[in-house]
Amino acid sequence: MTQSSNSQTSEYHVASLIASCILAQVDEVKAAILAVDDTEIHVTSAEGKIVFTIEGTSHKDIGKKMDILRVHTGILNLSPVYHQVLDESVDDDATKQ
Amino acid sequence: MSINRREFIKANAVAAAAAVAGVSVPAIASNLITSSDITKLKWDKAPCRFCGTGCSVNVGVMDGKVVATHGDIKSPVNKGLNCVKGYFLSKIMYGKDRLTTPLLRMTNGKYDKEGEFTPISWDQAFDIMAEKAKETLKKSGPTAVGMFGSGQWTVQEGYAAVKLYKAGFRSNNIDPNARHCMASAVGGFMRTFGIDEPMGCYDDLEAADAFVLWGSNMAEMHPILWTRLTDRRLSAPHVKVAVLSTFEHRSFDLADNGMIFTPQTDLAILNYIAHYIISTGRVNKDFVNKHTNFRLGETDIGYGLRPEHPLEQKAKNNGKSKGSSTPIDFDEYAKFVSTYTVEYTSKLSGVPEHKLEALAELYADPKIKVTSFWTMGFNQHTRGVWANNLVYNIHLLTGKISTPGNSPFSLTGQPSACGTAREVGTFSHRLPADMVVTNPKHRAIAEKIWDLPEGTIPAKPGYHAVLQNRMLKDGKLNFYWVQCNNNMQAAANINEEAYPGYRNPKNFIVVSDPYPTVTAQAADLILPTAMWVEKEGVYGNAERRTQSWYQMVEAPTGAKSDLWQLVEFSKRFAIEDVWPEELIAKKPEVRGKTLYDVLFQNPSVAKFSLDEIPDERLNDESRDFGFYIQKGLFEEYASFGRGHAHDLAPYDRYHKERGLRWPVVNGKETKWRFKEGSDPYVKPGSGWDFYGHKDGRAIIFALPYEPPAESPDEEYDLWLSTGRVLEHWHSGSMTQRVPELYKAMPDALVYMHPDDAKSRGMRRGDLVKLISRRGEVQTRVETRGRNKPPVGLVYMPWFDASRLVNKVTLDATDPLSKQTDYKKCAIKIVKV
Repeated sequence: MTQSSNSQTSEYHVASLIASCILAQVDEVKAAILAVDDTEIHVTSAEGKIVFTIEGTSHKDIGKKMDILRVHTGILNLSPVYHQVLDESVDDDATKQ
Repeated sequence: MSINRREFIKANAVAAAAAVAGVSVPAIASNLITSSDITKLKWDKAPCRFCGTGCSVNVGVMDGKVVATHGDIKSPVNKGLNCVKGYFLSKIMYGKDRLTTPLLRMTNGKYDKEGEFTPISWDQAFDIMAEKAKETLKKSGPTAVGMFGSGQWTVQEGYAAVKLYKAGFRSNNIDPNARHCMASAVGGFMRTFGIDEPMGCYDDLEAADAFVLWGSNMAEMHPILWTRLTDRRLSAPHVKVAVLSTFEHRSFDLADNGMIFTPQTDLAILNYIAHYIISTGRVNKDFVNKHTNFRLGETDIGYGLRPEHPLEQKAKNNGKSKGSSTPIDFDEYAKFVSTYTVEYTSKLSGVPEHKLEALAELYADPKIKVTSFWTMGFNQHTRGVWANNLVYNIHLLTGKISTPGNSPFSLTGQPSACGTAREVGTFSHRLPADMVVTNPKHRAIAEKIWDLPEGTIPAKPGYHAVLQNRMLKDGKLNFYWVQCNNNMQAAANINEEAYPGYRNPKNFIVVSDPYPTVTAQAADLILPTAMWVEKEGVYGNAERRTQSWYQMVEAPTGAKSDLWQLVEFSKRFAIEDVWPEELIAKKPEVRGKTLYDVLFQNPSVAKFSLDEIPDERLNDESRDFGFYIQKGLFEEYASFGRGHAHDLAPYDRYHKERGLRWPVVNGKETKWRFKEGSDPYVKPGSGWDFYGHKDGRAIIFALPYEPPAESPDEEYDLWLSTGRVLEHWHSGSMTQRVPELYKAMPDALVYMHPDDAKSRGMRRGDLVKLISRRGEVQTRVETRGRNKPPVGLVYMPWFDASRLVNKVTLDATDPLSKQTDYKKCAIKIVKV
């Protein structure tokens, strides 16, 4: 996991994605993903599908990070799956329950 | 504290993606994602707002705003994935320039065609609209009022618009923007099979041994289907992919056989393949004898231009006979296609002989299951219906049809091009369930279901999309309402036809849109519109899948859905305003009623009460009108198709399903039509039954290669093809407002071959002018990047409102489908 997150805004964004890779280039693609700030690889399938997350402070921030990876030649498809925004200005910690 | 919350939603995100990828992630509770009691998110499903693939997304709402989305893992279409447009879907509603009040061109407090847009109330907006519509009807009759709608309308919106125009105003001048994208496919289906829409479904993607893309860049235009195709290609090494286009694009990355052909010569290649199948003895004779007929089609049918155009003067058969055909036998057909030898076809098309042979062999080999996909390359073609007919020929000659993996498959560009434009019948010649206004029996059926006096629906087809712009310019169409599309950007030759038409002082133009598009800005009155999950609706995708969604959030105050606008407007018309006395006399009980009473608040549409809508569920239109209007309209509409091979399930069921593919008979959807065992309408013992035609046979058409309307010459020395890009959906009116998408593809560039740039003294990034006989547009040169045209052809996308490429395109159409050919015209490029 790479570190750099800085939160100027009160929004926290997280997106999960699947990168389908050419099998011979999985390691290269993994390195490229981790070179992008605030990414984390969670699991890789035998078929070359990498499940990873991108965290950020805005939609734009996440989109920018996705753009860096989208053009990578080892990636056949980059599919975003999940996106959620957390407004941290609201003190509403439901998960403590 | 917030770390916990972050970890929690991150775990949700990972669980969702891992489930889609089919891998397990240790220590993640798989049910986290549905734990809405903890997250306080309210999740609901909706089909994506964009293309015709029909992906389902889950939308998470908190405090009245969409705050989370994910691909719907329960959806058989996208299986949890999103494309980049779908991923940013929730943001399309939150553009900064969202319209929230009607705007009328005014000077000194009064309507003025040359005035400035001024905010007015909805009441004032409907006042002026009704005044102008009534004035037009009185002065020039029903043929002077018209509407341009959309394959993005919900089923209910399209259906309400058809009722309002064809029954209420008694005008068939209603057409959808699907005319620009699907009309040739419709023509092809109706001509070959006698019934519209694909026989196969997306399950073909996992069953086929070979895929052939004809004028379709699926990698960018249908990314989710492309993901499924990629998965199939990579997991089954025997699978082959062939891609044909007039320029190289992203789908070529996966192609085993990529072919660049000279524009229009796809017609010759299709005939060559038929010839190859016959000459190598691979015709499936049993299938052909039992299930097909052969016919010779009319030729030299013109190019759908204005009658005074030299090409129309020259064409011999551009009159009523253009769609006719005469019966022939197999031998005559074989002789007809025998001129399309590999040598001749290769020379004409520029595709090497060995590539053509490899392509033909995919179809000819009886052991290979082939799926053909096509979109605008076939449909936006002055011989688009022919191109559709010719690809069916190949599948019919080999019997490779209606079984898993064997599928000629026309893909759609809009989320409900099939569901609304085609099935509801919002075209100027159509009625619901494939019926047409020219058939007296069909009109009688519609009049019975709508409880109208006999003779209400006019028999003559109205103005189609291209003709609407011409008639606006000529001052024959004077009251015109545009909903849910951006035709000032999308229509061809806007310089000479559309813009002068909208600004013609004789005309009053209304545009309903969530955003101030170029079309809205060319109007006289703009109505602010609610969109997507701000309303309840139904869409129908390219594989006959009907999907519904609920309203999930409130629209911005002041914005109203297209459905509300149509139905509310109908209250402004007394039946005496719109129907002649002799028609009213046939049904005197309508006297004194409004169009709203007759068309909408009647025992058929208004029979479902508000009790069916739980208190906590939003539904602005139903609460306003006092009955469950979406359900009433859907059920009445569905009665057209039930029992006629277009059966839809009861409305409520769609809210529980991720869509169902029609016909839905005895509660079961139909995956492959026309095949015994999978389609309940097929006669037992027949094997295959193309029941759209009375004799149960599909037609194999003998149709030749004919040249395009305009080709490069000495002065205009380049082909221009237009099209779309991954990041933007159509005219970009929604996606250009998503900063991430705008940034990824901000401006429409002209893609050209480096040699073409060099020979004109141009370099990448230079500012240039594209000039045709009709107009010009400025942009910058791109010689690298994702689209690689051959020497002699340039490509420019049309999503960019600041660079309207349709100022230069030609409004030549397929004379049969009336669909414009945006893929071929002649231009020159000069440095600015």
